[in-house]
Amino acid sequence: MRFTAIIDGTIGSAVEQARALAGFLEEGLHAGAPGGPPGRPWSGLECETLAFYADDREREQLIALAPTIAVRLVRAPERRPDLLAATLAATAGEDGPDLFLFTSGQAGTEVAARLARRAGGSVLTGALDISLEPDRLLGRRQVYSNHMVGRFALTARPWCVAVDPGWAEARAPACEEHRVLSESDAIADASEPPFADLKLTDPPSAGDLAEARVVVVAGAGAGDRDGVARIAAAAERMGAAFGVTRPVAMNAWAPMERLIGVSGARVAPALAIVAGASGAPAFLWGIERAGVIVAVNSDEHAAIVGEADAVAVGDGVAVVEALAGLVAPPPDHG
Amino acid sequence: MPLSREAIVESLRGIVGTDAVVTDERILIESSVDNFRKLQNIFDVHTMPLPAAVVLPVDTGQVAAILRLADEHGVNVIPRTGGTATEGGLESAVPDSVIIDGSAMNRILDVDPYNMQATAQCGVPLQALEDRAREHGLTTGHSPQSKPVAHLGGLVATRSIGQFSTLYGGIEDMVVGLEAVFPGGEVARIKNVPRRAAGPDIRHVVIGNEGALCFITEVTVKLFPYFPENNVFLGWTLKSMKTGFEVLREVMVNGYKPSVARVYDPGDAGLHFSHFAAPDDCVLLFMAEGTAGIAKATADGIQAIVDRHPECTQVDSAYIETWFNDLCWGPDKIVAEDERIRQTRNVNRTTEVAADWSSINDIYEAARDRIVTEIPDITMMGGHSSHSYINGTNMYFNYFFNVVGVGPEEETEKYYLPIITIICEEVLKRGGSIVHHHGMGKARAPWVRDEYGSSYFILEGLKKQFDPNGVMNVGTIFPLGG
Amino acid sequence: MRILVCFKVTPDYEALRDADWVAGPGDTVRSRYVRRVLNCFDESALELALRLREALTEREVAAGLGALSVGGRETEPFFATLHALGYERAARIEPEAALDYAPAATAALLAAYAQRFDRSDLLLLGSRCGPGDSGTVPALVAEELGWPCVTQVTEIEPTGGGLRVTCAADDGGLSLTVRPPCVLAVGNALVSHLRVPTLTDRLARRDLRADLLAPGDVGVDLAVALAGAPVTLEGLERIDRTRAGVVVEGDTPAEMARALFATHVEEAIARP
Repeated sequence: MRFTAIIDGTIGSAVEQARALAGFLEEGLHAGAPGGPPGRPWSGLECETLAFYADDREREQLIALAPTIAVRLVRAPERRPDLLAATLAATAGEDGPDLFLFTSGQAGTEVAARLARRAGGSVLTGALDISLEPDRLLGRRQVYSNHMVGRFALTARPWCVAVDPGWAEARAPACEEHRVLSESDAIADASEPPFADLKLTDPPSAGDLAEARVVVVAGAGAGDRDGVARIAAAAERMGAAFGVTRPVAMNAWAPMERLIGVSGARVAPALAIVAGASGAPAFLWGIERAGVIVAVNSDEHAAIVGEADAVAVGDGVAVVEALAGLVAPPPDHG
Repeated sequence: MPLSREAIVESLRGIVGTDAVVTDERILIESSVDNFRKLQNIFDVHTMPLPAAVVLPVDTGQVAAILRLADEHGVNVIPRTGGTATEGGLESAVPDSVIIDGSAMNRILDVDPYNMQATAQCGVPLQALEDRAREHGLTTGHSPQSKPVAHLGGLVATRSIGQFSTLYGGIEDMVVGLEAVFPGGEVARIKNVPRRAAGPDIRHVVIGNEGALCFITEVTVKLFPYFPENNVFLGWTLKSMKTGFEVLREVMVNGYKPSVARVYDPGDAGLHFSHFAAPDDCVLLFMAEGTAGIAKATADGIQAIVDRHPECTQVDSAYIETWFNDLCWGPDKIVAEDERIRQTRNVNRTTEVAADWSSINDIYEAARDRIVTEIPDITMMGGHSSHSYINGTNMYFNYFFNVVGVGPEEETEKYYLPIITIICEEVLKRGGSIVHHHGMGKARAPWVRDEYGSSYFILEGLKKQFDPNGVMNVGTIFPLGG
Repeated sequence: MRILVCFKVTPDYEALRDADWVAGPGDTVRSRYVRRVLNCFDESALELALRLREALTEREVAAGLGALSVGGRETEPFFATLHALGYERAARIEPEAALDYAPAATAALLAAYAQRFDRSDLLLLGSRCGPGDSGTVPALVAEELGWPCVTQVTEIEPTGGGLRVTCAADDGGLSLTVRPPCVLAVGNALVSHLRVPTLTDRLARRDLRADLLAPGDVGVDLAVALAGAPVTLEGLERIDRTRAGVVVEGDTPAEMARALFATHVEEAIARP
């Protein structure tokens, strides 16, 4: 059994991709049934990392990031999932990898799907974990907007699996040793590039959320833009990162990149303080890895009550503001 | 000489302390309106005079002192609790009003499972009282759509009604006694008795007064045993509202007491039932509850009645049960709906009226047809009947329109008030009532004399008697400028 | 420009009760009895297409709108709304089997219709859709068509000879110019609600119906597509998210905050 982990270094999320892949390899890849104990079954597999890069200056960093010892480097144009898929498809086949591992996201999902189509394989995105059997791959991922987890069986190889980005928080130890097996160019495309005038505008979405030890989340129960702003200010006083639920983001009470949940960021802080959110599964997916969840909600019957470690039944804005007076910001907080 | 804003605030602070007098501009703006100006609120456009303060008394004594102050100095006061009103009853019609927010008086004082009654302060959310009753296996029987948000004071003040009214009645059938404070500070306590014939029933001076006569501080309501496990759901599709009204009439006349008995016209049914009803279908539905025997007998009786109407096609009752389980509106749904309106400028409004069985279908058809013809930009015009009585039923008009070519502040003038006018005209023409359960507020106050006819002097007499200086919620029930 | 928007109608999962989320082999969720709604990302796509046409018309570029759905009769009321809003072309492909967990088969149908029937230039659809939520349909459609694809799109504007598209990339907000034919998959757009047609518009177009097609009509043998399905749903599991849910005491926000701090917050922050 062979697998290749893919890092798309032509976009600015290589660090997160590498971290998610490493975390998944450490804990998400099983020999037995999905959900069973991890046991580094892949250590017996032939494994390598294939890193795409557009800029020569990225090469060294990509090598260092690779979750496996063996690394291949492929120079590719920026943001061309179609060419990445074509390049990978050319490595598939009888002697090719059984499993390609990506990270789910705008880029990884598209490359995984295109590769599966081109190479006659099968695709699973958002993988929470997988297990390898002789004839098939079993994998789990959330379905129904995180109301349920689905178990899927993949037969046709190569198996193109995009892992859940939440694996980035698993903090697996980095692979210290690397060996570059080859350097090459991606398959080129003679026709005119499909995209022009690319411009990266906003900062990476929710960058501080991914790293934060404390996250404060405002839900629609904050009442209005003002309530959300007060919770955001309280978060800042605590030195915490600030996030919002989908209704708040869709109301434009806070920028979309603050969104936490299935369609936004997934965080894993030591503490999540959730104010005025009912606890819909699609939102909960974003915070369920938090060490401690503290919720404030005016409705003691809201789903969040059973999903939190501790709950205050009251006004989310007022309680979070009061908490901000008790929580000292970390010393390095400027 | 009227008191200045500053003097009003100072005097209030003297009564309730500094913290319980709110002068934050944002809160004042929010407290100057209710959902009548829903579109303005969503777009953050505010046209009502700014109140002087929101005051949060914690006991009856403080309420009495505030009302004494208001009466002496001619300060308009607006009683308020959960704030879910829809007819402008909570709007500050004149400058420098004082909003008396009863939500800090939020203690459940007594739940008495032996005498089957519970007493709560005005600021207790209905949901909280219901939850407490459920701990005893009991229910208040009151379940308006606003149950998660509305408080008892406001529910009694507006003659609220709930989704199970056909079995349990409106709030007026549930209130056994109460305490209210009148202008000048007089505290009236009406004792809790099963019935009495000691003159007119003075509870009805208070129930439905909409804050125009007094401030309700405490209410005692009935409790009922709760048997959700016996609930039976029934549903049919049919092609005409006329048949639907007829079935409702037969159910009522035969003495059945389903807790829910409704018929939806095709437009309204399209919003809730398009997954099983055709676009031109009406939907008829019932819920029977009570002890197992009562629930079954009720359901069987209704089934037999509907079976006599071949126009009705029965649907899987799971559709009705599923609809029922998702009926109430909590804060999440309100926020989502506001956002829908903000993006689409498509506004949903409702107007509820009542009439006897002979008139109700004519009112429904006449108002619907006129609105569709006379009002521009209508995207849905429909409604349902949801509260039936032996002599008639209500019609809950439900309509949507796109706000085109005007700002949010002109929405009521261009669309909402003209629609209300048509409905009121068609209802009054046929002897019905222009308000079934939302209250008159300020929106329908202009029709109060037409609504009451020769009995208006009785209503007006109440105002003269209890609020001689006109400080209670000016413009509500009794229109500004007479 | 011939714009085609693909949409899916699903049960309103938010209306399901706890007891409806049944685990078991296959898809065992009890969703039959709840009302139907547009997939939220498809709803954004449908409105963005209307706005795009308005913007193109302003630039005197002719644009036609078509809507396509793979689904059953429950989709019909949504087509009536789209006709009333000015979608001129409409088609519903009714598959013999549910395709909720068959993104490749869904993509084959969408692509075949776009290419062979509609001759579309621009295909808009939501980035993902329940219950399957795989998020792969846009890329698979693009692969079938040989078109470029932009996913997580939030804004679309016409520009000289192409479209200026903003999307949420993994590494930040990204804007780019793309020339049709292309696939645009809509993500968390701020435009999230479809406008509402007036009764007059509904009445004027009440006789319009979506073309009803079988997979064979667009040249797809669904039995073959599904028999070789390399991905199958084995079953569903419930997720246990229960935590202690301790309700802290306190009459005021300050008291509640102190209680939360003392019992949970302080320790959570101190933990290494």
